[in-house]
This record gives sequence, C-alpha cells and structure tokens, in this order.
Amino acid sequence: MTDAAASLAPRASLRRALGLRTVVTTSTGLAFAALEYLAAAGLVTYVAGDSAYIPIIVAGALALLAYGFFGELNGMFPTAAAVRLYMQRAMDDRVALTITFTYMSTIVLVIASDAFIVGSALAHAFGEPAWVAAIWIVGLLAVAVVCNLRGITVAGLLQDLATSVVVLATLAIGLLALVRSGHGLHTPFAPLHGHSAGDLFEAIALGVFLYSAFEWVTTSAEEVRKPESIQRGMLIAIGILCVVCCVATVAMSHTLTHHELTSAYPQLYLGVAAIGHSGLWVMAAVTAVTALNTFNGGFITASRFIYGTAREGSLPRQLALLNDRAVPWVPVVILGTVSAVVALVVAVTHAWEVLVAVGAALEGMIYAVAGVCAVRLRRRQPDTVRPFRVPALAVLGPIGIVLFGLLALTASVSVDDKFNPAPLVIIVLAGVLSALYVLKVLPGMRAKEAARRAARPRRRPGRPVSEDPLGP
Amino acid sequence: MATLEELGEAYAEWRGRSNGNPRLTKMVRGWDRVIQFRTTDNGLGFSMRVENQQLSELDTGPIEECDVVVTGTSEDFCDMFWGDLNPSEKYMSGEITLQGSQEDVMRIDAISMVAFLDA
Repeated sequence: MTDAAASLAPRASLRRALGLRTVVTTSTGLAFAALEYLAAAGLVTYVAGDSAYIPIIVAGALALLAYGFFGELNGMFPTAAAVRLYMQRAMDDRVALTITFTYMSTIVLVIASDAFIVGSALAHAFGEPAWVAAIWIVGLLAVAVVCNLRGITVAGLLQDLATSVVVLATLAIGLLALVRSGHGLHTPFAPLHGHSAGDLFEAIALGVFLYSAFEWVTTSAEEVRKPESIQRGMLIAIGILCVVCCVATVAMSHTLTHHELTSAYPQLYLGVAAIGHSGLWVMAAVTAVTALNTFNGGFITASRFIYGTAREGSLPRQLALLNDRAVPWVPVVILGTVSAVVALVVAVTHAWEVLVAVGAALEGMIYAVAGVCAVRLRRRQPDTVRPFRVPALAVLGPIGIVLFGLLALTASVSVDDKFNPAPLVIIVLAGVLSALYVLKVLPGMRAKEAARRAARPRRRPGRPVSEDPLGP
Repeated sequence: MATLEELGEAYAEWRGRSNGNPRLTKMVRGWDRVIQFRTTDNGLGFSMRVENQQLSELDTGPIEECDVVVTGTSEDFCDMFWGDLNPSEKYMSGEITLQGSQEDVMRIDAISMVAFLDA
C-alpha cells in the first residue's frame, strides 16, 4: 500500500449486515405500531359502509410518492444522518433544524400512544378498571427505558418474527371476522354515501398515517448488505401495509359498532368478532408485540439522533452523555419520561384521536418537506450520484408537495369527523418552541462552544490541523 | 494529506489514551470488533481490533471481513486520533461515512469522545 494510491483501498465485507427480509420487516414493523389500529378504526368513521379500503389504496398511491422522495434522498445520502444532510443542503439550516426537531416529536407521540394503547388493551383484556392502564403504561415504559439503558436491543431475527406475527395475525383475524360475519359488504363502492368530499380527504389523510414511519428504515442504510435493499424493502412494506390495512379496516367497518370503533382498543373487539373470546387474548398479545418494535425502533432512532445532534453542537452537550454501556442515557430517560407524561395525559383525557390527528398531520408535513428537498436538490446538486431517481419529479414533486401539505392541514383541524383545531395548536406550539430554540438559544450555545474549542490547545503536533478543528 | 506514518503516530496516541482509560475499557466490555478505516484522499486502508477491552495496534495489511468501515480523509482521521476533531460533526455533515450497525458506530464515537474527556 502506498500513499500515492489513486483509488480507495478495497473495502472489507461486513460480518453482520441486514438483508432484504430484515429491511422489509423493519419498515413494516415501524409503520405497524399499535396506533395503527386506532387510526384504521378512526378512518372507518369518515367513509360510508365498507369502503374504507378506497382511501387506503389512494393513500398507498401517495405513500408510493413519498417512497420515491425518500428513495431518491436516501440514495444520495445513505446514512442514519440523512434527514439532517438533505434538509441542510436543500434549505436554510435553521429551517431544517426547526423542522427536524418538530418531526422528532412524532417519535415521542408514537411511543406514548403505543404505551397508552397497549396499557389500555391489557387492562381491558384482564378485566381491570381503566385506571390500571396507567400502571401498565408506566410499567411498560419503565421496562423499555431500562432495556435501552442496558443496551438491550431487539435482534434482527426477533424483529422479523415479531413483525411477521403482528402482520399475519392481523390479516388472519380480519379475514376471519369478515368470513364469520356471514353477510355481504355494505356499499363497498360508495365512500361518499352520507359523507362529504372533505370526509374522504380526511380519511385519505388518516390512510397516509397508516403507512407512516415506513421511511424510518432509511436510518438503517449503513447496515445493509446491498444499498438497494432499502428502496426495495420500503416498496414491499408499502404493499404489505396496504393489504393488511385494507382487510383490517373493511373487517372493522363490517363487524364493529360505532362505540367499539371509537374505543381505545378496537382491535380487541375485532379479535372477538373473528374467533370469539380467545380472539381478545390473541389481539391483546399482538398489540403487546407491536410495542416491541415501536419501543426498540423509536427509542434507538430518537435517542441516537438526539445524541448525534448534541455531539454536532446543535443541542446541549448534556444530551451526549454516555453511560458505561455507551448508551446516551439522558435522551433515553427524557424520551421515556415525556412519553409517559403524554400517554398518561391521553389516558386521563381520552384524547387519543387528537394524537392520531397530530401524527397524521406531522407525517403529511414531513412527506411534503421530503418532496421539497428532492425537488430543490435536483437543482442545487444536479451532479450528485442518485442510485434511485423519481421519474418525472418536475411534475410529481410539486403534486406531492401540494397534496401532502393539504392532507397535513386537513388532518390538523379535524378530530373524529368534527372540526377541531387541537392538533394544529399542538403542532404549531411544537414548531414555535423548536424555532425559538433554533433562533434564540442555539446561536449563543454555538458561540460558547466555538470559544471553548478555540481556547483549547491543539494536540496534534508539528503541522496545522486540516480545518476548523473541533474537539470532542 | 497525512502519511501512513502520521496516521500511525496519531493512532498510537488514541490507543494509548483509550487503553489507559478505565471508563472506556468498561464501555467496550464484551464488544470485540474489527474496524476498517479507508481514506478518500490518498487511498490508504488500515484496521484496528478491539479485543478483551483493548485496542490493538494499527494493522495496515488487507482484511476480508470487519464489523465497521469508516471512510474519510487522512487528515480527518489524523485529527480524530489526536482528539482535535469531533467525528460526529464530520459524520453529521457527511464528510465521514460509515458502514456498520448503529450500535457499533456509537461505540466508536464513544471511544473518540471519552478518550479525550479528561484531557
């Protein structure tokens, strides 16, 4: 080997790398949180009869558009830090940071809602009073925090198994419920019967939420055996989600009452409709398994992102503190605590539909932002290698941006088929707090950090460091 | 561009600090890994092992398998080994790229941070 070598040294192959199967199950599992059941049941109330599959298929087509945006961006930046990189290069860094911090609140929402739904479902299955759900919620999150602090993560094979169980059980229960109901579908082709076009639009927004988080698998881009597995895996995951959600929602609309649909555990009623009382236990177990993926993926993704951002100097340094197992313990504890508070507030106020609407609006927003980034980077970085390109982005890009923007706006002002600005207020509040931090706090923090680094003597002897040396 | 000798000298500093740091040796307990470094500016490749809570000497020979591949400029690696550069910042800006599991990546960053915390 010589210093004058013109090309890169040969890359050794990775001992442990993710294959397509794990990418598919990761993408599907991240999207298929327990909140999926509530969103599916919520969607049913916006359309007539058994036509809930229609907005899900339309939402699937929109998810394909989002898949295109994320596929192109991830191909350009195949790294866990991709969201920072493509936003930073496509827009002003302060705007990018504000959006990123607001988006990160989705992860807290999903963790909190899963804790709430699993806690409520278990309390109901065991025949316990509703307040016992609070104990389940705190207990589940405490276990998740302790496991994370001890560096325990769900291995690829277990994750594959957990997602397969959730998806297949939901599909089977949905089909059995339909078969056992013994009568034909009601108005399967007339979603607007007794509903407005606005309702259908809202149903599509919730439908998009059913696919949401499939794109989080892009944070595994550094772990895959073949880079193209990420794009393929996301595509397969969208297909799986479309089929399972169509079956589950049609089965729900066909067999559940309005009271059951608007409960915190419609999936348990679906289980009962499919196979009787044992179905309740099957779906309670399935709901608990969804939390395995959510807690594992959610805590790791969010805490590592917070750690990276703190190490980068965009968040307080305390958030980069590591425990003896190299786990960023401060973000993990904060995530667990905030999630517990949100879940308990939801349990007390029964406002889970607001949570679903906030999640749907935030996902619509981030898909629109991904579209903006993909379009702008085509202009700003035309020569960057793109292993995956969205065809006709000049047309599809603006269409996607407008559609996702409108869906986000619609979802943010409607809860349970009624006008309700609560989700919008929550999102605006989160956005304003993020913006205040980025505009008012961050500049001072960065200036202090720069002064600290400038005051520290260089360790490298002999020659100057390459550029703006940044101490650890 | 940093030469292989400069990189070796810098790595020796990093290794000495890491192996002599009780907190860090605790942090890498049970974490036996092979890490390959590849430089983009002068085509160098070298690797290190973490075995029994200790960092090995720098290996400049070819390797077939590893757990993490780190790619960056020779200058950045040199500065990182000397503790003059925050690899996370370079990673977040896309100047250092990685291949490997997120947990392994975290441990490498932990080594680079903790090794110089008390300095």
